[in-house]
This record gives sequence, structure tokens and C-alpha cells, in this order.
Amino acid sequence: MSVLVLRLAGPLQSWGASSRFTRRTTESAPTKSGVVGLLAAAAGIERGDDERLAPLAALRFGVRIDQPGTRIRDFQTAHHGVTGTSMPLSERFYLADAVFVAAVEGDHALLSELHAALHAPAYPPFLGRRSCPPAEPLVLQLHEHADGIEDVLRTTPWQAADWYRRRHRPPDHLTVLREASGGESIETADLLRDQPVSFDAGRRLHAPRTVVTDPVPVPIPAGGDPRYAHDPFTALDSLEEESA
Amino acid sequence: MFISRFRVNTARSGARRLLSSPQPLHAAVMSSFPGILPSDRPAPAAPRVLWRLDQRSRAEVLLHIVSPDRPDLTHLVEQAGWPAAADPANPGWQTRPYTPLLDRLGAGDRWEFRLTANPVHNIRRKEGEPRKTTAHLTPTHQMGWLLDEKRQQRLGFRVCEKPAERRLLPEGTTHHRRPHPGDRYELTVRDTRSLSFTKSRDPGSSQGRQVTVVTATFEGRLEVTEPDALRRALTQGVGRARAYGCGLLTLAPVAHPAPRTP
Repeated sequence: MSVLVLRLAGPLQSWGASSRFTRRTTESAPTKSGVVGLLAAAAGIERGDDERLAPLAALRFGVRIDQPGTRIRDFQTAHHGVTGTSMPLSERFYLADAVFVAAVEGDHALLSELHAALHAPAYPPFLGRRSCPPAEPLVLQLHEHADGIEDVLRTTPWQAADWYRRRHRPPDHLTVLREASGGESIETADLLRDQPVSFDAGRRLHAPRTVVTDPVPVPIPAGGDPRYAHDPFTALDSLEEESA
Repeated sequence: MFISRFRVNTARSGARRLLSSPQPLHAAVMSSFPGILPSDRPAPAAPRVLWRLDQRSRAEVLLHIVSPDRPDLTHLVEQAGWPAAADPANPGWQTRPYTPLLDRLGAGDRWEFRLTANPVHNIRRKEGEPRKTTAHLTPTHQMGWLLDEKRQQRLGFRVCEKPAERRLLPEGTTHHRRPHPGDRYELTVRDTRSLSFTKSRDPGSSQGRQVTVVTATFEGRLEVTEPDALRRALTQGVGRARAYGCGLLTLAPVAHPAPRTP
């Protein structure tokens, strides 16, 4: 069982799961349909190609909220580019300055294919909405022999930005939202209509999926930013240790 | 050769005066050597006094000096240090012999490095105009300056290339197939600073002359190709404006994993 870990960070992100009509809301964490769509786009799967989408949609999905971000509302007025008639007024919601760690679990061959695709994507990746490009490299790691997304999301270092670490004390826990595993009781799990079935522009279809919420202790990497640590005296110190 | 480190006490007015311009700081550094007179011209191919300010935060300013003689920084401690905390065992700065490190450099060694330099080139803007020394202003051009094949050969090192899995762009090129040095090499430009200050009066002229120096601080990983040439670069400095805190290259062991791409 392999796990592909992504870092989703950008100035704006928007992950809608239940929006209809002119009020386009966002969840507080990336949705499975958004992340699977991103992977499918990188792999070059066309919108209507449900057969190639199916194995991607079958991956088990989990996400960790490393830096929650701020929810902002955009009151959008737009005019048709050709006719100039005004389009319906709409409200769009975004998460600003958020950082998430998303993980998908599944067959190694498929995940290594997606891993390669993310390095040379067929269609550019975006964070839930076309106008929200990722600010950092998406791929964090591909674990070949992982114990599952629970384990990976518990051990991956905290990804919050440097400015965020300076201003906030590390939280007590990070929230993990993941799909229930096979043998788990799902009585306490939530349901979200977020399991992609078809991304066909004509008949977009989502099925419900389970969401289990787990708090995990914050895995903080050792030390601060090593880039600022350049000290020419360490070279002399290590020299003396060798000769001693 | 000696390497010295002095922590500047930024709460003192003397420190403010020294940090305001490289001109008084250069004078203060040079005053640490009783054997060097202001009228002395540094010999072109001899080790010389090099210095650099490492400013990690407002109250963490370190002055590094590499010099042929052992410096006496007492006057700096008095003006911009902690004179009351100084005692004979700990005078307020540290000096260590640098020669053991220089002697140990060998071809193929890998080091982390830091260099504040003044990257410039000579260009004319249009046909028939005399060439002028012009600073490189963008990180891409500044990296290009350091990565220049001939320059690296002369300095005796090669900036290491990033392993493929840490690159963001396949082949290390943009999608127009242009090389992108920041993605291909273990090299970052930390800081670009434009120092503009008045040079103290030349004997002939009545007015001070305005000097502008653009500095860039490079950090990265290098591999030694010619130890002798690198030794020269470490003791004689790299590039221009060496009197103004540029050109001091320092090495540190490769200890931690490679820095994350910013």
C-alpha cells in the first residue's frame, strides 16, 4: 500500500462541496473531488472520461489542516465578454493563506504514475478553482510501503509557513479529516457529497463519502530554518574535533 | 590567516554610525591591524583584509573578518560592543587561525558557502557609447554572474547541481526551454542591497563623491575543483567592492539536509 502526500498551499484556495447557483461556498479543508480532479488533470484525463477517473476516485483520501487560513468572501460582478450583458451577481468564498497536507492511499503503480504526472502535468493544477494556483511544489512525498494515510498524516512534519510559526504558538492538535478505513465503524462518521463519479461538464455527479475527524499531535520538525544558520566557525570546530 | 567574529551591539550609537555606511566600518576594520597604514595599497595578488556583515535580525549582527594578521578589535568593542563585559579571557570577539582549514581543502570536497558580493558587468547601452560598469539587479542575473563558467574556474569551485527529484521544473529549464539557475543549482540569493554613501573627500576635490554598490548575498553548496584557486578566493576575495564588505567567501560543513526551496 502506497501513499502520495501533497502540500496544498497558495494565496487563495476554494474547495466547494455543496454549492449551487450563485453562492459558491468553500469547505474548510480540501475536498476529495477537488484533489482527485487535480490529479486527473495532471494525468491528462479528459472531463467526460469516467472510466479512467474511476481508479483515481477509488483512492482513499485524507487531509490535514496545518494552517487554517482565513475565509474571505468575494462579491462578484461580471459582464459577458462578448455581449456586455451583466452576468448574475454571485458570491464566491475562498480560504486565504491556508496550508493543507493531503494524502491519497492506493496501489503503488497508479500512485507512482500520478507522482510522475504531477511533475509534468498535462493540465496545470489548481487549488479548487482555476484562479487559485498553488504557491509551492505540490508533491511532498511518495511513500511506497506506508501503513496508511492515518500514519502518514500523523508523521509528516508541520507545513505551516514561517511567518505563521513566528506569530502563533504551535497548536495543541492538528485536525485530520479522512475517509473511514474498511474495517472501521462508521456510525460516528459524517457524510459529505464529495465522492467524484463524473466530472463531465454536462452531468457532474458526486456520491456521498464518509469523513472521520481525528485530532493528531503536531509533528514539528527539529530546529528552525537551517538556511540562516551559516556559521564559518563550525568548519574550524569540526577540524579541531578531528585532530583531537 | 585568521578568521574573526565580532557581535555588534546595535543598541549603541557607535554601532548605528558604523552600520549606516560601509565607509566608516571599513575604516574601523582596517584600524584593527597595526601593521597596515591607510596609505598602504593592497598588493594585487596577496591575501588581504576581507569583511562581511551577517545580519540575521535587528539585534543579531555579526561582523566576520578574514585577515593575514591577528586583529585587535578593542576599539570596536568600545564603540559598538559590550566593553563592560569584556575580560582578558574573552575580549569581546573571537579570532581563530584559518590556515588549518585552508590547508585541508581538497578537490572534490563539498561545502556550504556564503558570499556577499558585488555582481557587475561592463555594458554599453547603445552603439558607440563607452562601456560602463553596471550592477546586476535581478537574482537571475546575479546567479548568472556567479555561475559564469570562467569565474567558477578562476575561483576553484563549482556550484553543485540539485538532484532531479528536488527540482520543480523538468530538465531544469522553464517551459520555453530556457535554463533557470535557481531551480538547477544549489544556490539562492538571500538579499540584494543597494548601498549608497558618500566617499570621504579625495585630496583633490572639495566635494565627497557619491558611491553606489549593489550587493547580493549568495548561499549554496559548492564542490572544490582546484584547492589552490579556492584558497586564493578565500583569502583575496571575490569580485569588486572588497573594501565595502563584499567578496568574503566563507565555508561551513554540509551537515543538515538541503534547504527547502523558498
